[in-house]
Amino acid sequence: MKNAAKKVYLILILILLYAPIATLMILSFNKSRTRAKWGGFTLEWYRSLLENEQIMNAFYTTLLIALLSALAATLIGTLACIGMQAMSKRARNILMATANIPMVNPEIVTAVSLMLIFIALRVGLGFQTILLSHITFNIPYVILSVMPKMRQTSRSTYEAALDLGASPVYAFFRIVFPDILPGVISGFLLSFTMSLDDFVITHFTKGPGIDTLSTKIYTEVRKGIKPEIYALSTLLFVSVLLLLILVNYSPEETETAAKQAQKKPGRWKIFVLRRFVPAVMALVLISGGIYYGSRGKIGGQNTLVVYNWGEYMDPAVLELFEKETGIRVVYEEFETNEIMYPKVQTGAIAYDLVCPSDYMIQRMIENDLLAEINFDHIPNLKNIGSTYLEKSREFDPDNKYSVPYCWGTVGILYNKTMVDEPVDSWGILWDETYADSILMQDSVRDAFAVALCYLGYSLNSTDLDELTAAKNLLIRQKPLVQAYVVDQVRDKMIGNEAALGVIYSGEAIYTQRENPDLEYVIPKEGSNIWIDSWVIPKNARHKESAEAFINFLCRPDIALMNFDYITYSTPNTAARELIEDDEIRNSPIAFPDDEALRNCTTFHYLGDEMDGVYNELWNQVKSK
Amino acid sequence: MSNKLIDLVHISKTYGTNTVLDNLDLYIRENEFLTLLGPSGCGKTTTLRIIGGFETPDSGQVIFDGKDITALPPNKRQLNTVFQRYALFSHMNIAENIAFGLKIKNKTKKYIDDKIRYALKLVNLDGYENRMPDSLSGGQQQRIAIARAIVNEPKVLLLDEPLGALDLKLRQDMQYELIRLKNELGITFVYVTHDQEEALTMSDTIVVMNQGYIQQIGTPETIYNEPENAFVADFIGDSNILSGIMLKDRLVNILGTPFQCVDEGFGTNTPVDVVIRPEDVNLVKPEDGMIRGIVTHLIFKGVHYEMEVMANNYEWLVHSTDMFPVGTEVGIRVVPFDIQIMNKPISEDEEAVNIEA
Repeated sequence: MKNAAKKVYLILILILLYAPIATLMILSFNKSRTRAKWGGFTLEWYRSLLENEQIMNAFYTTLLIALLSALAATLIGTLACIGMQAMSKRARNILMATANIPMVNPEIVTAVSLMLIFIALRVGLGFQTILLSHITFNIPYVILSVMPKMRQTSRSTYEAALDLGASPVYAFFRIVFPDILPGVISGFLLSFTMSLDDFVITHFTKGPGIDTLSTKIYTEVRKGIKPEIYALSTLLFVSVLLLLILVNYSPEETETAAKQAQKKPGRWKIFVLRRFVPAVMALVLISGGIYYGSRGKIGGQNTLVVYNWGEYMDPAVLELFEKETGIRVVYEEFETNEIMYPKVQTGAIAYDLVCPSDYMIQRMIENDLLAEINFDHIPNLKNIGSTYLEKSREFDPDNKYSVPYCWGTVGILYNKTMVDEPVDSWGILWDETYADSILMQDSVRDAFAVALCYLGYSLNSTDLDELTAAKNLLIRQKPLVQAYVVDQVRDKMIGNEAALGVIYSGEAIYTQRENPDLEYVIPKEGSNIWIDSWVIPKNARHKESAEAFINFLCRPDIALMNFDYITYSTPNTAARELIEDDEIRNSPIAFPDDEALRNCTTFHYLGDEMDGVYNELWNQVKSK
Repeated sequence: MSNKLIDLVHISKTYGTNTVLDNLDLYIRENEFLTLLGPSGCGKTTTLRIIGGFETPDSGQVIFDGKDITALPPNKRQLNTVFQRYALFSHMNIAENIAFGLKIKNKTKKYIDDKIRYALKLVNLDGYENRMPDSLSGGQQQRIAIARAIVNEPKVLLLDEPLGALDLKLRQDMQYELIRLKNELGITFVYVTHDQEEALTMSDTIVVMNQGYIQQIGTPETIYNEPENAFVADFIGDSNILSGIMLKDRLVNILGTPFQCVDEGFGTNTPVDVVIRPEDVNLVKPEDGMIRGIVTHLIFKGVHYEMEVMANNYEWLVHSTDMFPVGTEVGIRVVPFDIQIMNKPISEDEEAVNIEA
């Protein structure tokens, strides 16, 4: 009985520990792109993973940086330990405390400090700065694991070696080093893992065109994490597991251990540690050298540094552009407007082309960060529908700084099997029949836009009375809301978990394809229309190439490629004409008529003070 | 006597404000078993480490075989050390440990193999070549450490409290073992210990040290029987150290009673220290004694009884094979030959080294 309870308890713990990983592994074989439903077994994602150059590059960069930084940190850290060992106790304690500070220091502080010093020293952000940063934050971990081993080594074995005629260097490597080797190895592995894991420091010290897995995955949050990442994670997990099993399980050892007191590692272990691991390391290093050697230098005359949303351009478009013009595109991705803004504002990296959203463009114009575009270089602007240029005037009054790239609306997605009445007003989100079946966006402006529009106010309202009314309305709605979510509206609606949800039109097309019962509507009171546009920062180094790229993106065939890839509405009317599928070309979701858009406005940048007011009111809603 | 092999000349060594050795002079003869004996902190280990090359003296010279080796690093010196905690290389087996020094000297494989076998035989551990140090007992490890040192055929073997970590029985066995080894090898041993019994058992010469100064150099017999000062007397074996007044040659007043002795030349009415070994105090019937006392403690020690006798306001330590129960009144007799007279320390330095225990 007691034993059975023990077993159940153990199994429970194992389930809790491994359920998340198991979920991920199962999803990596799911034919459906969505997490919400099982579309059958497939190896498709593994295939497309290997073909996805961006992910493989990021994966490769991650390994290379982890390996190099761990090696360098192990070397430096071990040398530091040798030095500290010879010091007086006082000096050693002071130094140990100093070395430990980076570990307890908040990562974000380390990250920003590193970025600032690189900028101050005019070191171009890129591979080398990530590497230097990783070495920096890894050294304390190496010291932490080597130093105790060093303290355990007896001085007399070293002296005995000298006594027997060994030179100090020989004595160190032959006698002291084997004793501290376990510490050195665990320091190396710890560094390797820390480096693999790191996001914050990498994010702040990386330059354009380079991504590690963590930063790459993070850029995908806007459009949802791709199943290829599940596949990659599964492969990583399985290979680490295999390596661990190989290292820990050696049949010879268990046999001989009983017979003799000799401590000789098993043949497997020797093979893995001495042959396999170094061989893999060497392979990664050499191929890395060749790869980065062949990529040439960033910042040459014939390059273009593009800063775009994650998953926001068909990679084939980039290839095509490079082939046609001979300009090399260095491509970097961001996750949110707010993350993009400081990177452009500090001027740490001279981006040539950035793709922010409407209100952010307004803010950048106000802060004098943007250069006027020479439209003589962009004849293809004629393909952009006048409606969109007109709407752009809300944030770019003279159409001088921006060229629309993607756009969409915010509306209500509802399940026809659960909602019988026609939906045409925000008011349905306050209907008690749908209590606990309503999904709201978990973002200040989006949530307030819903309430303000329903009340007939502007979604850019700065009137405190109007805002308070909107707040009260949202508080009243709260008991009916199933959840405030960011990107799960899509999955929950596909999975029939809710009846109504506030969603972006770009997501709506995709969800409808997965679940035909879903319908999207822009409420009659009006809504938010958002536009992401290309702008050129003032400090751009390759303005003409940037304009050439904008012109290229405005070409109908190219815009079509991107529309197919991104699935967000394109402002390129010529491209829309090229869409073969009637249903999509005439989709009221992707291309609502001007009448539906009449009441739609873009978000405006309201200033820091107003942002504060909105946040405060939103907190009141959330905490009620 | 044979030649001086090692000569330490005016050696001083200071750590911070702590003077460990102060102007020490000492020579070691060829083929001698010399023991540096003293309490911890007396400078004996530092002296050994200076000979071994692990410490550099602040001033003074180390002369080895006529050459100044003061600045020579340890790996260039023709001597080997056996460390207190064995200091075996734990990741190498016994054969590899013993071969370590020989491999550095690029000896042939055959030579090395022969040497390993010879050395293991010498320390009575044949067939242990493939064992790992961890699997050996303390005594075995220490013998391996000795084997590892002697295969290099050093002129001098330095031993830093090599038996300190062993238990009593093993320690006694190893003492005989070391004497045998020394006789078979015919090399010089410099031995450091704080154990006076070890020193007395094995040494040709004992150097008693305290607080950086040499207190006395001599054969075990001299050191034991004729300690030059109260420190040596106290440190070597148990002693009754009493204040006395030398009345005239061969007569000393101890605790108010005149005793016959054999010492001369201290003048008349001179204050002196008197040493009487506990086994030299004879207990007799009260009426036969030179002084009388009462037995206050009694402990059975195996070979003898240890007693304390209160007489003339002094607690006499007595070793005797005869037993007197606590409370018995006894008489005390000491034969003149067993009374050792020493000058009282005059200088401050001597004063400082005088009181230890």
